[in-house]
Amino acid sequence: MKSEIIQRLTEIVGGDNIYTALEDLYCYTYDASFVKADIKKDLAGVAVYPGNTEEVSRILKLANLEKIPVVPRGAGSNVSGGTISIGDCIVLVLKRMNKILEIDRKNLIAVVETGVITGQLQSEVESVGLFYPPDPASQAFSTMGGNVAECAGGPRGVKYGVTRDYVIGLEVVLPTGEVINTGGRTIKNVTGYDMTNLFTGSEGTLCVITKIIVKLIPLPEGKSTMMAVFSEIDQACETVSEIIAGGLVPCSLELLDNIYIKNIEEYAKVGLPTDAGAVLLIEVDGDSEILAKQIGKIEQTCRRLGAVQIRIAKTKEEANELWRARRSAFAAVSRVKPTIIGEDATVPRSSIPVAVRRIQEIAAKYNIIIAILGHAGDGNLHATILTDATDLEEAARVEKAIDEIFVATVEMGGSLSGEHGIGRAKSKFITRQTGEVGLEVQHRIKQALDPNNILNPGVMFGA
Amino acid sequence: MERSFESWEKEVIRCIRCGACQNVCPVFKELQAESTVARGRVKLISGVITKELDLTEGFSDKMSLCLMCKACVVNCPSGVKVDKLVEAARKEIAEQKGLSLLKKLIFRLVLKNRWVFNTGMKAGSVFQGLVFRKGPQGQGMLPRMSLGLDKRRLLSPLAPKSFRSGYPQVIKVSGAKLRVAFFTGCMINYIYTDTGNAVINVLKHNGVEVVIPSLQNCCGTPVRINGDYESAKEMAKANIDVFWKEEVDLIVVACGTCGLALKEEYAELLEDDPIYAEKAKKLGVLVKDFTELVVSLEGFADRIGHLPMKVTYHDPCHLVRGLKVKEQPRQIIKSISGVIFNEMQKSDTCCGSGGSFSLAHYELSTQINDHKVNDIKQTGAEVLVTGCSACRMHIADGLHRQNVPVKVIHTAQLLEMAYTAKNNS
Repeated sequence: MKSEIIQRLTEIVGGDNIYTALEDLYCYTYDASFVKADIKKDLAGVAVYPGNTEEVSRILKLANLEKIPVVPRGAGSNVSGGTISIGDCIVLVLKRMNKILEIDRKNLIAVVETGVITGQLQSEVESVGLFYPPDPASQAFSTMGGNVAECAGGPRGVKYGVTRDYVIGLEVVLPTGEVINTGGRTIKNVTGYDMTNLFTGSEGTLCVITKIIVKLIPLPEGKSTMMAVFSEIDQACETVSEIIAGGLVPCSLELLDNIYIKNIEEYAKVGLPTDAGAVLLIEVDGDSEILAKQIGKIEQTCRRLGAVQIRIAKTKEEANELWRARRSAFAAVSRVKPTIIGEDATVPRSSIPVAVRRIQEIAAKYNIIIAILGHAGDGNLHATILTDATDLEEAARVEKAIDEIFVATVEMGGSLSGEHGIGRAKSKFITRQTGEVGLEVQHRIKQALDPNNILNPGVMFGA
Repeated sequence: MERSFESWEKEVIRCIRCGACQNVCPVFKELQAESTVARGRVKLISGVITKELDLTEGFSDKMSLCLMCKACVVNCPSGVKVDKLVEAARKEIAEQKGLSLLKKLIFRLVLKNRWVFNTGMKAGSVFQGLVFRKGPQGQGMLPRMSLGLDKRRLLSPLAPKSFRSGYPQVIKVSGAKLRVAFFTGCMINYIYTDTGNAVINVLKHNGVEVVIPSLQNCCGTPVRINGDYESAKEMAKANIDVFWKEEVDLIVVACGTCGLALKEEYAELLEDDPIYAEKAKKLGVLVKDFTELVVSLEGFADRIGHLPMKVTYHDPCHLVRGLKVKEQPRQIIKSISGVIFNEMQKSDTCCGSGGSFSLAHYELSTQINDHKVNDIKQTGAEVLVTGCSACRMHIADGLHRQNVPVKVIHTAQLLEMAYTAKNNS
């Protein structure tokens, strides 16, 4: 990076908020994805931490003028390679813009700066009886801006939807430096194109999000949790379909396969039968009076479809104990192999049994371990590949297996990504789902907003 | 064969870079740069191992910016031992680049040699009045002139007489139900002798005979975590030799850091040593924190007087996450009538001391400490109880900087006060 540019950036953000040392920049060559940057090629020229929208605007104007790529970044916790530095670029970290500006109980909305931690917003609104449901696994440290840019989901998606369903307005800085506001503070809003929805999930390719207006809902009064154990994974999958077909909508419907069950039991001793084919962890929420009725109906469905064991939590502690199995899932399998790759191919809910079988076949074909844990209620399967990054021969097989999972997912009418995003990890597959023309349309939108292709180049559209 | 730096790659690749450490790392909370969070440190270490990076000055700086508080370790979904990795990196730096002259002097001449340490400390206790003045409320002291220390820095004075020199080697009690050896650690021996006295008085009160081996040394942790394994091993062996000879039921500590060294880290440090590895393991089993020992003593809460005071408790990193002692001090505090115990928010977040970290990065360590002081203030407590002398000094400094009139004491002192209250009533 030219020293003159560094100088100009320093003037904008101040000397304390700019990083140019090798050791600092090296730490922006990764995010939570398995995408590997090439340090010789991909090391950023500079990382800046702006403190407000105006600084972001000035940085983008400068970058656009000088045609310098900009990689926006929040907590760097995305799993699709969307925040990895690319060559002599500016890494634009938005974590300093971290204020909750407003929690408006009369209009049921919250206004936040982009760097607010999602979990922090959640606990603030819950303390006044309100609820912001999207719950990505990273919620304790990921940022609202990042969640909006990736359109993050989470277990509660089955009932409450994903980030997109809550964003009603944005303040964004365009790649050319102009600041615009989209949407607003109203639930109903059809003025012009729905830019809010276009920018939500745009993965930092169209704009830098600086402020977010989200709608809130009343906090459900209570929750009820149960666990059902099945000897065959097919039974569990069918149960999921039946529960949904029966008009019941749990707020979480999580599926764990045998590989997870065995390892969780070994690691956390939660009392799961290690020969079980699958476990469903089911949670319903709402008014206290209806919880028991809902759980009762779900219990019947589980029994009818062959559940060999059912545990219904009677207290909060018991519910926590049931969730302990799910929460320890990751730590449990990380003992098996050193490298864990989590995929998030998503299929129509009714195709879950087929999808699970296909993934198992692919694992057998390439002789690798793929465990399955899924937000089964919304078809979002997390195929977890347990491998060893230092074993290059196995890594090659893993890569082929992942490619094949993507192909299979699209064949089943599913999506390459349910909630992780395309990023740099899946860009080469995108046309399988969008078609050539579909991608071309997206490309034109990108060109219209970002004529110099400075914002997160390579993400979604490939290098 | 001593473990090579490269062999840590197996641990490094277990980091999936999820970023969960961002939620708990006290240094990252202040600095926000990716290179200052556990995930960044692990990536930098992997870079050096795979030779993408060199052992630069910049790398050393990043490695020095870790408090070794273990918050990331217990919060990591993959259980990556970040503290061990940083320590391995510091060891590699020390071996490849050498220690700084000052560190070499302190580690190799002073801490390792008890008589040099003793003589220096004795001289220090006499002359410290020339350069320090008394702090407010008679607590601590402030530098009169710039010493490379911040002039606002409240330090605790060296005791006029070291703790160990004030006691016989064996403190006998009639009809002892238990015989324990007390590993005092440096801060209790040279600065906070009041904590040491309280440990003795409480144990005596409970019919425990205490042995204080006079030849014990610094535990070696400050040396080890700065990468000087050679000195650390010598110090570990010297302590093992001293305590091996004692015929005791337990070894009691009143500092989590020393405790963890004796309980687990000596065995790791000396794992390749045919003789000492086994001895270290056997001694490790005997190690108990003061509070663990006390709550196991039947009737420790009998004959406790009324102590009307508002108290809160700070969990020292190496006590709560190292020795896994969390409930025992609270049990002691709650057993005292009159004490109103209010938990502070995030009682187990690091106070920012990090031992030598607070000397090298004073400004940063005070910023971290400010959060702790605020959390203490919120409780309305008059007394902060804790189980570590380094935390005690750092928090007392923070309270002083912010003019918060809260007294800081060790758990042993609170219990001693409760026993005294009974005797006086």
